[in-house]
Amino acid sequence: MAPDDGERVKLNVGGEIFETNVSTIQSTSPDSLLAALTIPTSHGSIPVFIDRDPEIFAVILNLLRTGRLPANSSGVFSKQELLDEALYYGVESLLRSAMFPSPLLGIDASLVSTITPAADGVPSAFTATAGDASLWIAHGGQISVYDWSLSHSGTVRTHLNDITSICRVWAEAAAIGSESASGLHFYDLSGGRYVGSTHWTDPEDPRIHKARVAAVADSSGGVFASFDCLHRENSVLQIDKSTLQVAAVIGQQSGSSAKTSVPEKLRWVPTNGLLVGSAVQRGVFGCSGYIRIWDPRSRNIVWETSEPGSGRSSRFGDALADVDVDVEDSILYKVCSKSGDLGMADLRKLGEDPWVYVSDENPGAWKSDDGGGGGYSVVHCYRKQVWAARGGALEVWSSVKDNIRGDPIRRRNFVDKEEDSIRGMISKIEAGGDRMFVSREYMEGVEVWESCNFSSLVSVE
Amino acid sequence: MNFPIISPESNVVSVNVGGRIFQTTKQTLTLAGTDSLFSRLVTESSTRFVDRDPDLFSVLLYILRTGNLPARSRAFDVRDLIEESRYYGIESFLIDSLSNSSQFEAFDLRKSRILPLNGRDSPSTIAPTANGGGLHVAHGSKITSFDWSLRRKSTVVAAGATDFPGLQIIDLDNGGFVRTTLNWENVTSSTVQAIGSSSEFLFTSFESSRRNSNSIMVYDLSTLLPVSEIDHCEIYGADIDSAIPSTKLRWIQSCNLLMVSGSHSSPSGVSGHVRFWDVRSKNMVWEIKETQDCFSDVTVSDNLSTVFKVGVTSGEVFYTDLRSLGSKDPWICLGEEKKRSLNERRGVGCKIESYGNHVFCSKGSGIELWSEVITGLVGNASRDVLEERVFRKNSFAKLADSGENKITGLAFGGNRMFVIRKDQQCIEVWQSPSRGVSI
Repeated sequence: MAPDDGERVKLNVGGEIFETNVSTIQSTSPDSLLAALTIPTSHGSIPVFIDRDPEIFAVILNLLRTGRLPANSSGVFSKQELLDEALYYGVESLLRSAMFPSPLLGIDASLVSTITPAADGVPSAFTATAGDASLWIAHGGQISVYDWSLSHSGTVRTHLNDITSICRVWAEAAAIGSESASGLHFYDLSGGRYVGSTHWTDPEDPRIHKARVAAVADSSGGVFASFDCLHRENSVLQIDKSTLQVAAVIGQQSGSSAKTSVPEKLRWVPTNGLLVGSAVQRGVFGCSGYIRIWDPRSRNIVWETSEPGSGRSSRFGDALADVDVDVEDSILYKVCSKSGDLGMADLRKLGEDPWVYVSDENPGAWKSDDGGGGGYSVVHCYRKQVWAARGGALEVWSSVKDNIRGDPIRRRNFVDKEEDSIRGMISKIEAGGDRMFVSREYMEGVEVWESCNFSSLVSVE
Repeated sequence: MNFPIISPESNVVSVNVGGRIFQTTKQTLTLAGTDSLFSRLVTESSTRFVDRDPDLFSVLLYILRTGNLPARSRAFDVRDLIEESRYYGIESFLIDSLSNSSQFEAFDLRKSRILPLNGRDSPSTIAPTANGGGLHVAHGSKITSFDWSLRRKSTVVAAGATDFPGLQIIDLDNGGFVRTTLNWENVTSSTVQAIGSSSEFLFTSFESSRRNSNSIMVYDLSTLLPVSEIDHCEIYGADIDSAIPSTKLRWIQSCNLLMVSGSHSSPSGVSGHVRFWDVRSKNMVWEIKETQDCFSDVTVSDNLSTVFKVGVTSGEVFYTDLRSLGSKDPWICLGEEKKRSLNERRGVGCKIESYGNHVFCSKGSGIELWSEVITGLVGNASRDVLEERVFRKNSFAKLADSGENKITGLAFGGNRMFVIRKDQQCIEVWQSPSRGVSI
């Protein structure tokens, strides 16, 4: 037994006496109920009485002592009652960190659950990128909110019938757009209220009318949304968050060719103050698309590339399939549609041909002649790992530090099993709170992938 | 046995239940209500030994402290919990923690349980119990009642309404004897077409056996004595409109009005009426004559102060605002309003019911959920929707449900939706996966 001369405290919870070190209790935030009760007062030797259930308090106290939940507690106590109790004692942040999954490792992730909304279960859009690990799913005309523990915390029916883009713009508000109705619409999800709409109109140009939203990105300075008119004229608008009025029109273009079509993906890079937009069209002759980077303050294009057309000629016929930005390291990642090779470009050193290509001949990984299923389609970057989907298969690029050469080595591996891939084409990947969320075309629900430090040992006796 | 030390002047109470010591505060115990055993523990120090199971007691104490059920109660059968809560006199707390109407999440309803019925008759009509989410089911000439936990049931024999004269008041608690039979005054052997009630009155729609007159009788709910008669119609000649008895009676609490509706199908189409009666003054406040696209079912939502109908021709849902009673063409279509041939019968058999802030409409084997989009504009933001009130539809139809039978009835109670289908000797219970514990 470790010697401990610290001050001890006794608590009487519902008739059972608990004894612990004062330092254990005071590891919680100072304004929690428990910390307040252990301040030495005139109670004398009589333990402080708390009128709560003693069995759950035993778990909470173990959480305070060890920082983790006892392994058997999940079978005995429900998530909700542990949360209620932690809230009562003021230790919910500790419980939250104890209940979070292990750091997400693409090379060791498994499908843990599928979140399916009750009605209209096929998700048309979802977002999980905001910091608090919650998941917002748009399905049909509804938005369902799942909190950090992935329990359903509410559903709001919007006036739209088909939400195809969703972005979280405040803690409780969503900006949504639809390919079948014009405008960007704002909803307060905690109150279930429609807050307002923003439309792209131009009094001097009657063609700009009924513009639909293709992509939304949030920044501290406003919401960026790409709007597409029926005549394919398109633009990115910066929308003021307090007034919901258009603050700036960035990069208006005609939409007459693949190089000027509406951006389908917008990413805001806060470290550089840059907005990255991309669009890819998939045709019988392969992919064609562009990446364009704007500085929203000057509304100028900082850099752009379009494929096929620029870059190395050896990459002919292997145009980009999708783009994502590693916001922390300011690296632009693209996945080549045919080969599945990963292209990287440093956002701070963009030039004529900034791409560094990595390919992997990992025999277990994808073989390019495997036929069928189409090219790569979706790429998403999370915690310095790059996820790429090809049809229904999910791969991850992870890096190994190489001390000799300095540059990290990147390796590609499958995340999923073969039987996972036949469930359908992956339509979207997002990650947040050390979980990865995957939706598939025509499939109900959003898949949740997590890493776990415990093996799922199966007894076969 | 040592009680943990407590200062004598504190309000902490120690209770010995079956040999285990529990401590709690006087406030928690008095929460249980004055006639429960818990509150007696506060006052009488001599009875602080209770000869009952301590594990069950800890569950009940948990409910008193938090209002929720602990997860460890899953180890017990709900029947034991009910029995134990009755012993202590706190069953209402148990009901509240398990089936409270605030736990009803319309957007997150899933078919969770099936209640089988014995015998060969499929249910003809269902009605929720007065509180807690139980259900009365009429099937054949029997009435089966399920209590709020859906675990206990009782069945009595009763005679039907449309083939039997008079309204029977049946005491379901005491073996189902017929307490009294109410008949329409002066006219012998008239059949009951619909029943409704408010907190004071019982309303019954009668039609005479020769089907040439109909009326709605108002009875006092406690004495069951007739109070008044409204909406009396006698048929003279070929006036079809007045021959239609009312088949649905709904009390609108917020307006103190009774909504009565009836329809009749003839070769020339379906026609009907929706009338609003002030029962006290026996005045008809408003009448909607239904000639084109008559309702196949109609309901009223107090929370939304709106009347909803399903058109029998179009099969679409319409609404009219109770606050604008009296307008000429009151119905506003919520679906696609197309010109349809009068011979179409898309809405036949559709049922519409409201619960909370939502309206549920059954169409064939599927259910639509209509909900209002609430607007709270910020700043000088523009409103994007043209309609005055915006209702939007969700459908519960899933691929797996497509082969099921037509829905013949919907009822709501507690946190549950009950669905009955044609030729099925069972009742579906729809619930949302509760955030707490469900047992």
